[in-house]
Amino acid sequence: MEFRSTHEIGAAAETVFDAMTNPDMVARCVPGCDTMEPLGNDRYQATMVLGIAAIKGRFRSVVALRDQNRPESFLLEVDGKGSAGFAKGEARVEICATDAGCSVSVHAKARVGGPVARVGQRLLAGTAKMIADKFFACMRDRIEAQLVERTAV
Amino acid sequence: MSASTFGSGIRRREDPRLITGSAAYTDDIVLPGTLHAAMLRSPYAHARINGIDTSAASEASGVVAVYTHADTVDEIAPAPCAWLLPNSGLTIAEYHCVAKDTVRYVGDIVAVVVAESCSQAYDALDLIDVDYEPLDAVIAPKAAAAEDAPQLHDEIKGNQAFHWTVTGGGDIDEAFGAADVVVKETIVQQRLIPNAMEPRAALARYVQATGELTLWNTTQNPHIVRFLCSLVNGVPEDKLRVIAPEVGGGFGSKIAVYPADFITVFCSKKLGVPVKWVETRSENYQATTHGRDHVQEIEMAATSDGRITGLRATVHAGMGAYLSTAAPGIPTILHGLMLSGVYDIPAIHEDVYGIYTNTTPVEAYRGAGRPEATFMVERLVDLLASRLGLDPAEVRRRNFIPKFDDGHDVVTGLTYDSGDYDGALTKLLGKAGYEGLRAEQAAAREKGRHIGLGLSTYVEICGLGPSQVAGAIGFQGGLWESAILRFHPSGKVNVMIGASPHGQGEETTFAQIVAGELGVSPEDVKVIHGDTESTPMGWGTYGSRTTAVGGAALALAARKIRDKAKIIAAHLLEAAVEDMEYEDGNFFVKGSPDTGKTIQDIALMANVAWNMPEGVEAGLEATSFYDPPNFVFPYGAHLAVVEVDSETGNVELKRYIAVDDCGPQINPVIVEGQVHGGIVQGIGQAMWEEGVYDEDGQLLTGTMLDYALPRADRLPDIEVHSTVTPSPHHPLGVKGIGEAGTIASTAAVYNAVIDALQPLGVASVNMPLTPERVWRSIQESQGRN
Repeated sequence: MEFRSTHEIGAAAETVFDAMTNPDMVARCVPGCDTMEPLGNDRYQATMVLGIAAIKGRFRSVVALRDQNRPESFLLEVDGKGSAGFAKGEARVEICATDAGCSVSVHAKARVGGPVARVGQRLLAGTAKMIADKFFACMRDRIEAQLVERTAV
Repeated sequence: MSASTFGSGIRRREDPRLITGSAAYTDDIVLPGTLHAAMLRSPYAHARINGIDTSAASEASGVVAVYTHADTVDEIAPAPCAWLLPNSGLTIAEYHCVAKDTVRYVGDIVAVVVAESCSQAYDALDLIDVDYEPLDAVIAPKAAAAEDAPQLHDEIKGNQAFHWTVTGGGDIDEAFGAADVVVKETIVQQRLIPNAMEPRAALARYVQATGELTLWNTTQNPHIVRFLCSLVNGVPEDKLRVIAPEVGGGFGSKIAVYPADFITVFCSKKLGVPVKWVETRSENYQATTHGRDHVQEIEMAATSDGRITGLRATVHAGMGAYLSTAAPGIPTILHGLMLSGVYDIPAIHEDVYGIYTNTTPVEAYRGAGRPEATFMVERLVDLLASRLGLDPAEVRRRNFIPKFDDGHDVVTGLTYDSGDYDGALTKLLGKAGYEGLRAEQAAAREKGRHIGLGLSTYVEICGLGPSQVAGAIGFQGGLWESAILRFHPSGKVNVMIGASPHGQGEETTFAQIVAGELGVSPEDVKVIHGDTESTPMGWGTYGSRTTAVGGAALALAARKIRDKAKIIAAHLLEAAVEDMEYEDGNFFVKGSPDTGKTIQDIALMANVAWNMPEGVEAGLEATSFYDPPNFVFPYGAHLAVVEVDSETGNVELKRYIAVDDCGPQINPVIVEGQVHGGIVQGIGQAMWEEGVYDEDGQLLTGTMLDYALPRADRLPDIEVHSTVTPSPHHPLGVKGIGEAGTIASTAAVYNAVIDALQPLGVASVNMPLTPERVWRSIQESQGRN
């Protein structure tokens, strides 16, 4: 499974980079994410509930941030498994400054197995994109809200 | 024989209970105190198991036990392979019912949970934590045979399960060297996934106080289940009763005895209570055996006037991760020996490589090896016709084995029983209006429409088979059948048979056999099957053998009854036995049919035994064991008419005409039903069905949404005709018909589509012929991307 998406956020690249590499922010914005506990060395243990088609399950995953090149790019590695199957993948995130703030592009690749692969294969890319869209909408709202707060102060 | 019974299309007596929902399948059987088992199956196609933590599952609500390999290894032997193909270097990978330290396909069992309810068992599966270390997987049989391929089993080199060859007739290299014409093709017989309406199920009840086990199991062969279960679970055969209650279809997938069956028995033995396991549809897709999966590199040598001089093939057959119960015999004995088809081919050579892959084990699937053989031969014949610019019907005629009624040897070593292949084709072409169709095709082509005609003239081997041959080819069982026929005092009859029909209608046809032999009404005959405690030994329903072999056993038992009844009748009529005559249930002194004794009169007397001839035992009952002297070889000719939309690639099946010869038909309506179902399954392979794995071994077609089964609205009315050529060696002359349609139809439809595409320059498309594939092949041949 592979997908790409691009999202515009009205904030400086550094702000966006910091938000996207901040586990609290990430935990709040990943749909279905319950917890995100640091394991050290930019690795986190995350639990989340995900549903694809008729398959819904709780995943436990190890999320690692690698190749951090503030504010331009980082690599997110995810290795998760749960009753609905398993997923192992990585997403390269690139942040480019634009006139209106910055543009964040994601190129994700994942290998999935178990019930998710068997039942949800047709819907996988669509679901992944939907999750990414929700995540970035949430990020954008929070970052822009923070900016408004700071400006107000 | 009574004309109103044997040979008449009476309604299937099975149907009322099936269509009113009163039939009881394994899952319908409810025993008090039953626990439910659920299997934890590997989500990886290939992985090492570094650890399993079952603690959370063990403590879950309703869970009674959780078992892994360590708990089961001493009490469940590896699942056996029971077809030990000789002279093939067969290597059998150990198939642990619960995986030891490695899983080798998505669906391999890793643990089992037993709980008070089915949902509790399934919920607890989620709580088992397995530490998998993924390994590289290999899916395609040829890739798995390559030198650098990931290896599935440490003890087996190159993933090779066997290398089997068939060589017959003259020097094959010479045949090809001297040929005027050679046509070649590579065919992918894609993986198919059987979809019986009833998924697999087992209910085991072990009584620790007596050591007796009853196993209700959805199977095609309860006596084989008893035999293998006895060996694997260590329950003596005399204390082991297997019942196949109503069985909702199998198509070959219920021949095997599966790890989950043995595990269910183990759980009941261990816990001393009944344990039930019923597969989910998802499990059915990933863990019930698949079919086909061949890559066939084939070539045919011929003279310039279209006479076939040789056939050579190399086949890589994917076997899955382990060898299922009968698997090695399917792509070899049931395939390679049939490569002469309906033709006189003077030299044949085939190499078949059975290859382990990280996929679900492959087994017999309706036709089992013969569709794959028929397709090869029929495809090559069409290629030859196309190369020589001859009509495909004409090339077939030039090569047919001439009509024979008592044996014909082909170079693969088989002796066909009887056949008139030209007769079947002639009837087919007449019924179809073949010449008119060709004219229509030509006219349509003028207008840019793409109509295609596809022929398939087939012969198949069924009625398996002589037990001596079974032994010689490594089948670890006999292939005879037996029947007990018992008259009650009232003249009603019970028939107990060892074979186990599961949808084929033999409760009806067997009653018709008895009616035909003894003049009773079919309504007075009840056929009992499927319970090893009430039926004599039998080897099961597969290979279109139940009517051909079991029906013969029954006919012979009926004839024993007739002989005994004649003696009793002679005694009662105070006549000599040699002066007695029999007609339609009446035994009488020559010339005096009005004062005879009916079979019912004799049944009553034999049962009360007030006045029996001296030395004749009481009762009217006979047992017969029938071990066939040869296989039977049904045959026929099929024609598919298709139209391909070159803009969309859509294939419309416009007509399908079949002529089949299964000898005398006991019940023509049931024959027609079998032909319909068989044809549709073969069309499914040609047009829609394909079991697809991704490169990691994840099954992508794991639901009914993703795996395209044939649908009625995509099919034309099937026009069914027949010819009747009795088998010379069979007591009733009958041959099998359960698989014939499937064996013929895939090639007919495929040949029709290629015929339609000929003006567009398309010579080959991999099955299934979905619109996308057909469209792409048209684009490629037209030089468009």
